[in-house]
Amino acid sequence: MTSGRAAVPFRNPGWAGNVGEFDLTEDEVRGTSYVGPIPADGGHPGAAPARPYQLFDRHPAAPLFEGPYRERFEKLLSRYPSAQGALIPVLGLAHELRGHVSPETMAEVAALLGIPEAEVRGVASFYTMYNKRPVGRYLVQVCTNISCSLCGGDEVLAGILEETGTELGETSADGLFTVMEVECLAACGFPTAIQINSQYFENVTPADVPALFERLRDEARSRLGASREAAR
Amino acid sequence: MAYPYTHPKEVRVLSRGWGEPATRTLDGWRALQGYQGLAKALEMGPDAVIETVKSSGLRGRGGAGFPTGLKWSFMPKEKSGAHYLCCNADESEPGTFKDRELMRWTPHQLIEGCLIAAYAIRADHAYIYCRGEFFEANLVLARAVEEAYAAGLAGSDVLGSGVSIDVTVHQGAGAYICGEETALMESLEGRRGLPRIKPPFPAAVGVFGRPTTINNVETLCAIPHIVREGGAWYRQWGTEKSPGTKLFCVSGHVRKPGNYELPMGFPMMDLIRDVCGGMPEGRSLKAVIPGGASVPIMTAEECDGCALHYEGVVERGSMLGCASVIVMDDSTNIVKQVRRMVDFFAHESCGQCTPCREGTSWLSRVLRRIEDGRGTEDDLSTLLSLGDEMTGTTICVLSDSAAAPVISSIQKFKDDYLALIPARDKAGVA
Amino acid sequence: MSATDTGTTAPPGHVKVTIDGQEVVVPKGTTILQAAQKIGIEVPHYCYHPALSSPAQCRLCLVEVVGAPKLAPSCVTAAQDGQVVQTASEKAKAMREGVLEFYLANHPLDCPICDQSGECKLQDYVFAEGRKHGRAREPKRVFGRDDFGADILFYGDRCVMCTRCVRFMEEVAGDPLLTVVERGNRSVIDTFFEEGLQGSPYAGNIVDVCPVGALVSKDFLHKARAWDLEHIPSVCPNCSQGCNIELHVRDGLVQRLRPRLNPEVNGHWMCDYGRYRYEGLNRRDRIEAPLVGRAPARRASGWSEALDAAAARLREGAPRGGQARVLAVASAEAPNEDLAALRSLVDTLGGGDIVFRSPRAEEEIPLPGMLTLARRRDLAPNVHGAELLGMRRVGGEDGTGGLDEHVRRADVLIVLGDELPDFGEEFGRERAVYLYLGSYETPGAAAADVVLPVSTFAEREGTFTNFEGRMQRFWPGLDAPGASRPAWRALFALRAALAGDEAPGTVEEAFHHLTRLVPALEGMTLDGLGTEGARARTEVAAATRAGD
Repeated sequence: MTSGRAAVPFRNPGWAGNVGEFDLTEDEVRGTSYVGPIPADGGHPGAAPARPYQLFDRHPAAPLFEGPYRERFEKLLSRYPSAQGALIPVLGLAHELRGHVSPETMAEVAALLGIPEAEVRGVASFYTMYNKRPVGRYLVQVCTNISCSLCGGDEVLAGILEETGTELGETSADGLFTVMEVECLAACGFPTAIQINSQYFENVTPADVPALFERLRDEARSRLGASREAAR
Repeated sequence: MAYPYTHPKEVRVLSRGWGEPATRTLDGWRALQGYQGLAKALEMGPDAVIETVKSSGLRGRGGAGFPTGLKWSFMPKEKSGAHYLCCNADESEPGTFKDRELMRWTPHQLIEGCLIAAYAIRADHAYIYCRGEFFEANLVLARAVEEAYAAGLAGSDVLGSGVSIDVTVHQGAGAYICGEETALMESLEGRRGLPRIKPPFPAAVGVFGRPTTINNVETLCAIPHIVREGGAWYRQWGTEKSPGTKLFCVSGHVRKPGNYELPMGFPMMDLIRDVCGGMPEGRSLKAVIPGGASVPIMTAEECDGCALHYEGVVERGSMLGCASVIVMDDSTNIVKQVRRMVDFFAHESCGQCTPCREGTSWLSRVLRRIEDGRGTEDDLSTLLSLGDEMTGTTICVLSDSAAAPVISSIQKFKDDYLALIPARDKAGVA
Repeated sequence: MSATDTGTTAPPGHVKVTIDGQEVVVPKGTTILQAAQKIGIEVPHYCYHPALSSPAQCRLCLVEVVGAPKLAPSCVTAAQDGQVVQTASEKAKAMREGVLEFYLANHPLDCPICDQSGECKLQDYVFAEGRKHGRAREPKRVFGRDDFGADILFYGDRCVMCTRCVRFMEEVAGDPLLTVVERGNRSVIDTFFEEGLQGSPYAGNIVDVCPVGALVSKDFLHKARAWDLEHIPSVCPNCSQGCNIELHVRDGLVQRLRPRLNPEVNGHWMCDYGRYRYEGLNRRDRIEAPLVGRAPARRASGWSEALDAAAARLREGAPRGGQARVLAVASAEAPNEDLAALRSLVDTLGGGDIVFRSPRAEEEIPLPGMLTLARRRDLAPNVHGAELLGMRRVGGEDGTGGLDEHVRRADVLIVLGDELPDFGEEFGRERAVYLYLGSYETPGAAAADVVLPVSTFAEREGTFTNFEGRMQRFWPGLDAPGASRPAWRALFALRAALAGDEAPGTVEEAFHHLTRLVPALEGMTLDGLGTEGARARTEVAAATRAGD
């Protein structure tokens, strides 16, 4: 996520509190240079089911599936002995393109895989990470489970709600942020952990919240501004 | 070096290379003797590998502590179709964060462990079921898998041996229950993650109807070292019943929370006071959960002299589980934290079995009412009774896990509950 | 095996298990629950159903196996040799009491307005073994009422999440339209959003399998209380499959039909086509008294006078040794006894043609999970019975037509049961003798010399023969209105009057007479049919069947 502009002083993500023994960059902690650009066609078939499906950009009417995404779909099918085995990653792919899983999306996926529609609804509704309705550009997921709760997770959540001006589970008026409470994110050593789209932000305290959201708004401005430029 | 803090008492086997970005890469892993274990396994043959793992005494690190070599030996030796290995990377137990670190710093360690395990159980395909929220770990693993295929370590001719093992990184979609091995298999098949009744056992009928073994990330990460160095080597740490090293995830009220790799049997109070730098300023120890939200809570007294291995924690009335040590100091509102844990279980219950489906949300609502000051002392006996009815009566143990903190906290921290109950609702008060 | 074990005496492939002190020997693989059922011990359960998969998730069937640390789900635990099981020990009863309390925690207090009341498995179990006082005082989760389409309403609050409905639709109906949505305490049964169950031809069965009042029939909604209903074993009259059913009767009206278990015919099921067609049995347009004389000079009379008049007309119109041409028009909805009596009478009159019309659908509607069950093309219960008696089918697929040429050439015309919907008052007016026996008023009977009122199959005992030659009994659930009687009584009486001998006086005797007319039925008795029926001898039945 490092860009050309001056980095906002920010010791998260992945920093070990204030007393950490490491001086790693955000890129190093996240492993982004190791991972490299994320291929739309899924890359190696063994890697195809593991892709970020909560993105800033989404197109609710995106076709299922065309171009490189069709290739990725074929790779997903090839990794499981039954079509139903590919259901979870295929729903993830649809979610990546459209931003959420609507009844229409479920019906299309059902038809693609030859699975009864009711079954697809049952599966999609079981798992927390498929958004059933559109969410903001940033899905802000705050852990309030025990380890984070012991270290002030509730205050962080309250701070974020205030910062974004939303209610829990709702989207902010500017359409940028939907704030949710989630269960343990498995970053308990770095409380409070929050996940925004596909990135973790750790060791978040209420004092960090304004800077964090400033960074997000900055990024949103440049991305949305860029698309407005492109539209002209 | 473990991440983010280090301590001289640590024994870095699995956590070697943490914090070094290069460790992720194939070259970086090779520099740490990576894939030597795989090469040796291919020479030994599957049964010899199983014997080596058996002799090491390695026990499943996902919480159940089942002997890994024994589990592998349940798989059919004669193949009549596909076998599968599933790596359980659906780390969702509150307080647990070791598998994420293992995957994002040493993905090749896990891949090597999966390949050796798959070879030993004659599996054609290893699925790494990685939790959906772990986007970064998923991508790092995905990249590592690509490297492995490119280097002939995975795929149709592993290291030129003629053996074919495929690896797929399967990203989940958010469900704690999919960390239960039979629910994981259901989820992998593209269904709702509902645990299955056993029998049949996975080694007989597993994922896609085929013999399957499911192992935790940490368990599989130990395999390359055990195969490379031998089973006896692993026993240099720990005890007879609990050999080896363990990644202890310490969180909560300590100065230096994080993962620490220590020999099994490490004294709990040493871990908290020495390795983790002790309690925050001016605070005293109140309670510890030794193994993640699913195990009984221990009082400070019970922690004194408690050795952190499977038998040691059982002796103190709790369980080691996945060794996620959650430390609570005297500022902790026990009722609130128990309520939060029960909320978690209510949210994650799959809904099949009546005691769990109804019980978790019932417990949650009563605890909320007590937390809000509208509880009665009768509520406490109701909670104990419900917890009892939720233990040992369901298809999987989520129900037991939800009951454990409730029962143990009422038994050991009753005053915390009574403090929230208005005087008029206490028994024996006029 | 313990030291005190006296050794098993179970034959090979079997196990001997002791349940609540009683021994029972069962084939290996039998579950404890099934073994208990064999000796009349019913272990409470929801999710288990003998015709569906066993998810073992309701946790109500947990029993104590002596020596085992945990209670065992008896619906999936295979009985082991030498096992000792207690279904009603302290532990088992405490477990059930606990599970029932969990069910009640969120269950609405709907009994006063719930159709299932009186036949509800939650009521029954809680009354038998539940806690006297529930301890739940938190607000209950609410789902409200959902219209699933077709005849089905779903009250989500009452649901016990046994998933029988979901599994029935998937495994038996072959129509996986239902699913569980969400998880945990928020889970609820639903369809795919606004899509419903309409068009699924066996969906009505989910109301039967639902142990509580979560799934109810709109047709039956708030119609009658379960405890007011009389259950009468019968046979579905709507096609030739012959599903075993029960008539549920109150106030002299059939309130609904339910399938009755018969593993050879319909299992636990019946189709929606048949299930909802019972209003015909409650028709009011009945012929209630014998009528003598052609309209308009027609008057009601008693049975003796009417039978005397009919016999007299028959002697005139078809004297012995004469060459009178006799035509009988029968009905595939008439029971075997009535048809046998008609055959007998026609033979006594010197023989003649007996024809019948019956509607045929374009297609069968099989049940994917039980392929021997289908809504057959023949939409009447006794087509095969008529064919076994040598009666010939005429007319079109809609059950009309085909009579004109036969009627024109008849001197004596006897009509049994056919409502003659394609004819008017002029039907049979030119015949020398015209007798009409039927249940319902119809213009086609206006020209009959004598009209005799017939009771329906729901109003007496008798048999139907299904499509594969199975003879099945039915019993009376309604009162025959007015002076209506089984047709066999009238027809055998007429025959006896003409032939000068005795008429059968009981339905057993009438059945016996039938077996003498049809070689394939030789040796069968009415009693011998029991409640599940018996097949006619197939090779003979096949030979007798006209042009299949």
